[in-house]
Amino acid sequence: MFRLRLLPWEYGVRNLLRRPSRSALTLAALAVVVLLIFVVVGFIRGLEQSLAVSGDADVVLVYSMNAEANIENSAIAAQVPGLLAANLTGIQKRFDKTYLSPELYLGTRITVNEQQGLLGLVRGVTSAAALVRRQVRIVEGNWPGPGEIMAGRLAAAKLGVDPRQLAIGQQVQFEGRTWTISGRFTAGGSAFESELWCRLPDLQQVLKRQDLSLVALLLRPGANLTEAALFCKGRIDLELQAVRESEYYAALQRHYQPVRLLAWLVVVLVAGAGVFTGLNMMYGAVAGRTREIATLQALGFRRRAILVSLIQEGMLLAAAASLLAGMVALFWVNGMAIRFTMGAFTLRVDSTALLVGCGTGLLLGMVGAIPPAIRALRLPVVESLKAV
Amino acid sequence: MLNRAMFAGMWVLAVALLGCSQSQDATQTGDAAGPDAAYLLVSMPANVQGVEDARRASENDQEIAVEGRIGGEEKPFVDGIAAFTLIDSRLHWCAADENCPTPWDYCCSNKTGKLAAVQVVGADGQPVAKDARALLGVKELSKVVVCGKAKRDEQGNLTVLAEKVHVVEK
Repeated sequence: MFRLRLLPWEYGVRNLLRRPSRSALTLAALAVVVLLIFVVVGFIRGLEQSLAVSGDADVVLVYSMNAEANIENSAIAAQVPGLLAANLTGIQKRFDKTYLSPELYLGTRITVNEQQGLLGLVRGVTSAAALVRRQVRIVEGNWPGPGEIMAGRLAAAKLGVDPRQLAIGQQVQFEGRTWTISGRFTAGGSAFESELWCRLPDLQQVLKRQDLSLVALLLRPGANLTEAALFCKGRIDLELQAVRESEYYAALQRHYQPVRLLAWLVVVLVAGAGVFTGLNMMYGAVAGRTREIATLQALGFRRRAILVSLIQEGMLLAAAASLLAGMVALFWVNGMAIRFTMGAFTLRVDSTALLVGCGTGLLLGMVGAIPPAIRALRLPVVESLKAV
Repeated sequence: MLNRAMFAGMWVLAVALLGCSQSQDATQTGDAAGPDAAYLLVSMPANVQGVEDARRASENDQEIAVEGRIGGEEKPFVDGIAAFTLIDSRLHWCAADENCPTPWDYCCSNKTGKLAAVQVVGADGQPVAKDARALLGVKELSKVVVCGKAKRDEQGNLTVLAEKVHVVEK
């Protein structure tokens, strides 16, 4: 019967502009909080995405049964690739070329431009790796020849050096040998991008070992993992296991679950800090408007309408802060390379990050405005009119 | 309005009854898809030997009956096909305080010469395309006797192409 008469929309907007310093400080504080949330959620999304795209469901990894979840611990006999090629019919073949890639994977100390002891990831491969690792693209230079390496897009970030130090023609040292960079490659955001690739025989020679870390094979259409799994079960002497690459990286995802949970906890804590920041600001803002609020009530505006107006102001500020933080995140944070234990990945400010960040910002605006507004509205009108 | 409500209520009731009957059918079907008796032996076969003895004495294409426990690896079963790894039952599995990823991987024991691969095969000689856990009603550390042909290779590996399995302990 009686519709709630709200305060005009422009009233809230003009109130924000009447106190520019206070509004600007609140805007800055909220923007910092929302930007921090973007960074942390971008970290989580980047980590998840890196592991998700690293696994090709059509690629099977055959590696040591004793390696548990880390192929760096794997050592398999040098004759395994030949045995797999001879015994499995489900491997992709084209023009007499078998899509089977023997690889040696190593985490080692690398020297770049006199910076010693940098922890890097090196993979010794043959030309078959380009057939099996379908997401790999050479973007500059050439496939490595003898004594050469090819650097992934994020290899510099992994090593913590300037990307120019891994430009073509530059040199690095590891395992007592100097290597010249012959090219650069991308791999669709996968974990390979943080690696240095060299020729398998070169790496075996410097390490003085003939064994391998794993064999990666691409299944032909319609083939499944069963044949490889049965082969591994039958050759007990070789101590092998066959796993889809996607399952391998899914297991790694679960391994990093505590890190992701911790990151989400940080998001909650940062948001909590933002709520208190907003509360503090709004308490101060409302405290100075006690007489104004009482006047509005005396004029006939209901408490609910005034409450809605105060929430409107808070949410306007929060929305502006979210937009500002979003623009900074998209243009500055998105794509930033982060060094991590398993390699490097880029922060991803994607739709999920934007939803969480902006949603949290708006929530802060609303939650931060309600308690001080309710407090102000509880005061008797007569006493509030006499307030200084 | 009351008629509309009754009509809608009848529809909801009909859908609910249909769903329940379908789910009951599914449950009944699920209950029926237990272990397949065609591959199970009710009684203990004769001339049973342990995995280690079978590896030492058996020859290629010889009919054998081998007793062991399902295990020896962290994942002894092959998903989607009736195949698993068998370890000699005289070895004891690892205790919880022995820091093995799983008790049935026997990482605390010397497994050399005590492992065999088992494939449950059909009449065509090919592995049955069903997970052994569902086919035989077994799990890790189940004690079984597998009866079938021995397949040996030059490295001494033993694979048993089992036509029948007797489950001693589930």
